[in-house]
Amino acid sequence: MLELLPQQLVNGLALGALYALVAMGLTLVFGVLLIPNFAHGELYMLGGFISYSLVAVGISFWPAVLVTMLVVALIGIALDWTAYKPIEQAPGLSLMISALAASVILQQIATIIWGTEPRTTPSPVTGVIRAGFITVSHYQIMLFAVLIAAWLAVWYILNRTKLGLSIRAVSQNRDAAALMGIRLDRVRIATVVLGASLGGLAGALLTANFPVYPSVGTLPILKAFVVLVIGGIGNLWGAVIGGLLLGLSEVLVAGYISSQLQDIGAFTILVLILFFRPNGLFGRAEIER
Amino acid sequence: MKYSKVLAIAAALFSSPLHAEEVKIGELHPITGPLSFFGLPMSRAMQLAVEQINTTGGIDVSGTKYTIGLLTGDTQANPTIGVAALKKLTAEGATYLVGPLHGAVAPALKPIVERDESLTLIVDGATPDGLPTGKNIFRNQTTVQGFTKPIITHAGDKKIKTIAFITDRYHTAQISSEEADIASFSAVGTEVVAREYMKLGDTDFSAQLTKIVAAKPESILFRTYPNEAALMTKQARQLGYEGTIIWVVLAPPATVLKNISSAEMEGVLNGYPPAAEDLAKLGEVNAKAFVEAYKAKFGDAPGELSALSYDAVYIIKAAIEKAGSIDNKVVNQVLAGIQLSEIPELVNVYKAQPDGRLFNNAGQADFQGVVHVWKDGHWVPLSAASN
Repeated sequence: MLELLPQQLVNGLALGALYALVAMGLTLVFGVLLIPNFAHGELYMLGGFISYSLVAVGISFWPAVLVTMLVVALIGIALDWTAYKPIEQAPGLSLMISALAASVILQQIATIIWGTEPRTTPSPVTGVIRAGFITVSHYQIMLFAVLIAAWLAVWYILNRTKLGLSIRAVSQNRDAAALMGIRLDRVRIATVVLGASLGGLAGALLTANFPVYPSVGTLPILKAFVVLVIGGIGNLWGAVIGGLLLGLSEVLVAGYISSQLQDIGAFTILVLILFFRPNGLFGRAEIER
Repeated sequence: MKYSKVLAIAAALFSSPLHAEEVKIGELHPITGPLSFFGLPMSRAMQLAVEQINTTGGIDVSGTKYTIGLLTGDTQANPTIGVAALKKLTAEGATYLVGPLHGAVAPALKPIVERDESLTLIVDGATPDGLPTGKNIFRNQTTVQGFTKPIITHAGDKKIKTIAFITDRYHTAQISSEEADIASFSAVGTEVVAREYMKLGDTDFSAQLTKIVAAKPESILFRTYPNEAALMTKQARQLGYEGTIIWVVLAPPATVLKNISSAEMEGVLNGYPPAAEDLAKLGEVNAKAFVEAYKAKFGDAPGELSALSYDAVYIIKAAIEKAGSIDNKVVNQVLAGIQLSEIPELVNVYKAQPDGRLFNNAGQADFQGVVHVWKDGHWVPLSAASN
């Protein structure tokens, strides 16, 4: 069985890369704006459908992905203005209920526009590379590459730009940031745009290999919240590592224990991490004042 | 003058077909959700049957004409929603029911229907084999083993020595028949060397397939739904598996091709009962008429299961007419003994019981699957493809 380990590791990392892409957008919005954005799964779903529609009208895949990210970013802003911003000062539970309502509404809108039939975009990359014990599909390589590129881009924005400095400041102390003259509304829009476009990107990549349908975002968003808890809420690096860990744990449980326990294995790891590190692998304890 | 007009309108209304006697049939299919690609054609086939019956005089109950009112319950392939849909249908007066499709929904409905003799259920889905009772629950779809049986025979004929299973762990029907299938394969000399599991909605099967490919079985059998089977086929080939891939899956080609290219599907085998279009190609007159009528009305092909739903409506009609009553208790007794020859409108080719009945004592019709092979974008019966 050990001879299968390299292949299972590749399988796990590829699955984890998709989880990480979804979780990156979610952790950004949750970390900065404190919105438990359950509708992020629907932004992911809309990314899939919009990319599918653009490719269907003749736009090639990569330009379609860029347009998709832009459109989903605009949808994200509209979502924020209608579902979250008006109840900004309300208790966290209200935000959570509003997020769940937005999730259902977006699913219904997608059902009206695209119907319930699953749809898939022809993959821009096909074929596999076989080397020794390992087989990697070109699609999996593309996922890794996009994950690294997305992480680098977001890292650059957050750590090397004035806007990123503002976002980090708001994330650390919202009131102090406002007192320093940071425009909270601009930071809010920038965060939403970044988070939503990452969701759109993940969705667009999804349709290149898997079918998209209105409820396709439900399971990934649950997994993304698990990733957030594993990696630490609001931590970009944690989202990437958490996603990869979750993918690896699911595959290794299915590969070495039993495929009947695949989901149980992932959530067992979540409980264990919460038990030993309540703030996640990369999260820091905060003092409530 | 005004009163006479009102009276005239009222008289016209009460004498119009709107107020004719009506038998309400409720359908329980996944109109939305992950299995809507099956549920919608099944619903449409029932609409077609109801329209045909109503426009040709309805149901004749001892000289009184009844029209059929069709009520739709959307199960979304979810047991909880299925039970809610059943309650809604019965509250609206539907005592004759057709469905469900999904193996997980059926066991949730069974206890409710079973204890109420004033209900009649014709199951047209691939549900667990213990579902029909022969009292007020009957099934015209084949048994779960009816799907696998032709594959087992094929494995024996081709002397396939080893096979691996991947089964949907929430597919009640497939899980319940797993041990029996292993024994049946063993009886024809085929050893099941690996058993892995997945669930509806999964997209990544690499962990399970890596293990299976390492076990080097001559064939892999996918016991699940079409989207997942197509993705598994693609991923198995990507992982270098070169053996025969076999499905026991009702899989519309349009759904399959949303997940995998036709070239990657070439040569995949599938065991399932022949669809109406298969039967039409074989010259079955009723199947040909059904396919043409369906296409004319809906502008689309009828798919794999819709003829079962269509047949279910005609089975109910024949039983009510023979009973001479719309009382479900009487009709249920008639259904238990109805002869296959008494329902000439049936599209599917059922085999009569030794005494000529449609259903056996357990309420199960004899409707067997055949082996199909994927060829040029379609499933083709293997016997036809070999010729």
